[in-house]
Amino acid sequence: MIAHHPDEALLIAYASGAADEAASLIVATHMHYCAICRMRGKKLEAIGGGLLEGLAPQPLASGALEATLAKLDQVTVFERPRRVPSRDGTPGVLRDYLGGDLRDVRWRRMGPRLSYAPLFRRGPVAARLLRGTPGADSGTHSHQGTEYTLVLAGGYTDATGSYAPGDLQVMESGQRHNPVADPGEDCINLAVTTGRLTFDSLIQKIAAPLFGF
Amino acid sequence: MTRPAEVGEMDMLLGRVAANQDRAAFAALFGHFAPRIKAYLLRLGAPAAVAEELAQEALLNAWRKARLFDPAKASAATWLFTIARNLRIDALRREKHPELDPEEFMPEPEAGADAGLMLAEKEGRLRLALKELPADQIQVVELSFFADKPHSQIALELGIPLGTVKSRLRLAMGRLKRAMGGEE
Repeated sequence: MIAHHPDEALLIAYASGAADEAASLIVATHMHYCAICRMRGKKLEAIGGGLLEGLAPQPLASGALEATLAKLDQVTVFERPRRVPSRDGTPGVLRDYLGGDLRDVRWRRMGPRLSYAPLFRRGPVAARLLRGTPGADSGTHSHQGTEYTLVLAGGYTDATGSYAPGDLQVMESGQRHNPVADPGEDCINLAVTTGRLTFDSLIQKIAAPLFGF
Repeated sequence: MTRPAEVGEMDMLLGRVAANQDRAAFAALFGHFAPRIKAYLLRLGAPAAVAEELAQEALLNAWRKARLFDPAKASAATWLFTIARNLRIDALRREKHPELDPEEFMPEPEAGADAGLMLAEKEGRLRLALKELPADQIQVVELSFFADKPHSQIALELGIPLGTVKSRLRLAMGRLKRAMGGEE
């Protein structure tokens, strides 16, 4: 059961297309786990459709329809790309970015209990996978921008609560937390940061830039 | 100037494009939606020439993708909205809009008590609710969907406190979602 959902503003940003790709990936991956937010997203898109319908039409240049009709024979009919079914339950929307399943990810170590795998970076926005063995402590840190964390496997706990697969945590700029991986299986998260993380401990302050954080 | 479409009319036209590549139906869809998509892109700050070109491209995409349109899941206007949204993200930001593959979620459990309410009826009531929203509420809803701005920026431009933007949006979204029925 999903306990932590994106707030209304983030869902609107996703449905309207205002959110950047990394934040949108977080929302879409959450929706993979969450039927309630899939439904909310559909309703927001319907509101987008209703607003589009209500806009005052801006006439196109004369000949626009004819020009478009002339192109109809040249375009190919779109076929939805077949997604290969996951062997380990990896969300399809995430597989598009991983190029495979979670179990195929090549992890890079950044400590005895923590590893990571970069997905993509666009300017100050970075999307990556983080993995911690049970009990792994990712260190007290705060953020210059917003940090989105979506649990994919296992779980973690910080002062704000416990997070299980599908749960989303959003930490705003300046908020500080110290997540620790729950007992049991490894905790794997999809993490998006819109600014650099700031670690409290000196050793992590030195290490963070090495890992692109 | 085109009149607002009845929910269902545009869906039927899109269905005819999907079923028999009906050019007359496509021309009618174009006449209705291309000028609205152009207006949408202008709202988002696209230069006029770009808005013109992308509005045509959106309708071309609708032609190519018509067979994916499922009138049980969304109206033609909603479907065209998502096409225009994805096109402008691709063209203006060079990014993708990550989306779920609906086939991964079949059958989709309908949440809440609105399962029996037909889509056309839901969207018809939504259109009505949009028309009846007070001007100050429709303004923040439109800016939230059509301006790519955080609420703080919207507040700044309207010269009202952030809390007012949020409360207007909350009121409006509550009304719109109630009109569609079920869980908010």
